[in-house]
Amino acid sequence: MNQNHPPGKQPDMGRLLVVEDSEEDAEAVQRALSQTHPLLRLEFVTRGEGLVERLADADEVPGIILLDLNMPGIGGHALLETIRARPELARVKVVVFTSSTAPAEVDACYAAGADTYIYKPLNFELFRTVLKGAVDYWQQSGRQPPSPGSGPSPSVK
Amino acid sequence: MKQAASPSSGTPDDWWRSLHKLWRAALDVQDVTAVASLVYRVLLQRPGTAVVVGARWGEQGLTYVRCARPGQDEPTTWPALSAQWPFGTHHPAVLPGAGGPQVRSHAFARPGDAALAPAGQLLARAHARWAVACLFPLADGDSAGLWVGLDHEPAGAQAQLLGDQLSQIADVLSASNRRILEARLHERRQARDAFLAEASLQMDASLDVAETLHRVARLAVPAVAEGCVVHLFGPGGLPRSVATAHVAATAQSWLAQVAHDDAWLRAQLQRGAEHPEVRTLRDADLAGGPFGPDAAGQGATVRALSITPLRARGRTLGTLTFLYGGDDTGLTDQRMLADLSGRAALAIDTTTLYEQRRRHVQLLQKHLLPRALPAAPGLELSAAYDVGDTSLDVGGDFYDAVAAKDRVVLFIGDVCGRGAEAAAFTGLARHTLRTLLEDGMAPAPALSRLNRALTGEGASRFVTALVVVLTPAADGWDAEIAGAGHPWPLVRRADGRVEQIPAPGMLLGVVPETAYEPTRIRLAAGDSVVMFTDGLTEARSADGTHFEEHLPAAVAQYAARGESPAARLAAAASAFRTSGDDDTAVLIASVKGQP
Repeated sequence: MNQNHPPGKQPDMGRLLVVEDSEEDAEAVQRALSQTHPLLRLEFVTRGEGLVERLADADEVPGIILLDLNMPGIGGHALLETIRARPELARVKVVVFTSSTAPAEVDACYAAGADTYIYKPLNFELFRTVLKGAVDYWQQSGRQPPSPGSGPSPSVK
Repeated sequence: MKQAASPSSGTPDDWWRSLHKLWRAALDVQDVTAVASLVYRVLLQRPGTAVVVGARWGEQGLTYVRCARPGQDEPTTWPALSAQWPFGTHHPAVLPGAGGPQVRSHAFARPGDAALAPAGQLLARAHARWAVACLFPLADGDSAGLWVGLDHEPAGAQAQLLGDQLSQIADVLSASNRRILEARLHERRQARDAFLAEASLQMDASLDVAETLHRVARLAVPAVAEGCVVHLFGPGGLPRSVATAHVAATAQSWLAQVAHDDAWLRAQLQRGAEHPEVRTLRDADLAGGPFGPDAAGQGATVRALSITPLRARGRTLGTLTFLYGGDDTGLTDQRMLADLSGRAALAIDTTTLYEQRRRHVQLLQKHLLPRALPAAPGLELSAAYDVGDTSLDVGGDFYDAVAAKDRVVLFIGDVCGRGAEAAAFTGLARHTLRTLLEDGMAPAPALSRLNRALTGEGASRFVTALVVVLTPAADGWDAEIAGAGHPWPLVRRADGRVEQIPAPGMLLGVVPETAYEPTRIRLAAGDSVVMFTDGLTEARSADGTHFEEHLPAAVAQYAARGESPAARLAAAASAFRTSGDDDTAVLIASVKGQP
């Protein structure tokens, strides 16, 4: 679609990878996204170890990685850094989520290269709305012209 | 490869059975796409069907194309954004608006036939000779299409029948979609209530206005909108940006900058603040500003803006602004925005009032203590005041020092309790003692006089006080000491010894006619007299010991001459303390020599 490809593999916006160690939370993500984005292909992994190498070796990468920051093992923050250290994955959008709204935590994640920071509320309906907002935003921004004037919006309204 | 159609398939009876099955499935499912496989299966059973193609359009254009051929269990789906999207970029942008399904039946000519897009290629791949198409609206900005490709030209009646059947399927799918939309509306309400509850929790969690607003803005993105900006009106009515959040990290600093200094936005916010309710800006309203398709940079994707005034107790404190990227305004509606802004405004107002009150308390507290200690030649005076708890009440400790004529007067005291009433008695006690002692009265009669004033006032508070009057003597200073229920002073001798000087006496404000007995001691060069309130001795460490036990050693260490000994002593107690929330006052006079 773009003439000038930035470096990195072309991500597939129809695929989303969830990195989540908690079975319950993974189930909630699955339930939420299958309702709001039935066509989105979801993949789940429970650990961050080895993930970046696997993605970098794959021919095609998911458009969005949804990452739980509070994971044991390598941990969300460290995984975020290793993803951002790989130029092949530069175009993959990383959406991190935690249960904190502390401004310092948000700033740290943005500084580490997260594309979106979302707060994970307890209420399922709200969680679904939050996830939908983040996925819609990146799917639409992948489709919208990067600069004004390069084409009209497809909708005639 | 061709599916052998069962003899009964295609008969009217069979169709009604299939349609009934579809209706039941449609009423069961949560998503219109789940009923899809059944639709494809049913259509593949129509005689002569070579392929079934489906497509769906949203506000932004085509969202997916789907295709099933005989022998396939499930249709194949290509989401509009997938890397394998094989259909080029030209699709009919918009489908029939209002009204029912539109059915067309025609010979299949070539894959690029515009009338068949985006199904043309798939029809061609299946070698379809004829196609019957049905385009139908599902909701506002949501429509779908179904194409049945036939391997032969149908007889007139067959094409008509197939068209009717497609219309009936369209009705099923529309009804199913309506049910889904209703369910979504209900879920959206639940999400909105949960959001308001979470936002309220965040607002109650902190008394720091800026932090609270940052948290609320973060919570709202992307649940409510793509971006959120909060402004508060400063002096002169200029909006000042206090919190910003955007769903995209890369847009965060751009939005912060726009919120900070964009003149267009500032003008809109000022207009929005005067508006009784939410003001929504879209399309032409956005002209000339940093948002909308005509804007340069990151604001180009913003489709709409809502500005809600933050009002509490009749005043407009600021504005709450949301940026929307799509036409889907998430959880927002007028009521929700009014509710959220009302809660936020009240939280801001409460917090601001709290901060104001805290400033008043600090100011009042300062007025109860001397602005500076007087210069007393031959002596070094130092004082410290440590606020023990962070509550909003003025503490009752006081001290003062007066150098009058040839003598230096020091006093310290404590009014029981805290708050405005304690502060009033603190002021009365301090100024009465100061006036009497300045006039040359001795410590003991000054305390008796203060006691009479307090009992005469019908004081509801007890007061303790300790007075030390220093007069130059032959080889140092003569100290005359009188106490009224107050901790006794300590004297640190030049050689480091620490002794307590008894200063017994009844508390003030209890018994009307009380007399006090003075004590006299001599202070030599290098000696210090240390006066303090019970906050110092009652500071308690984690293991339960009081600072009182350590006081002689601390006095020996800190009360020697040097840089602000009183502050160092108070700091030592403060470092020791894990519990005890009394205020602490310390007043120290060290003898350098004679005046």
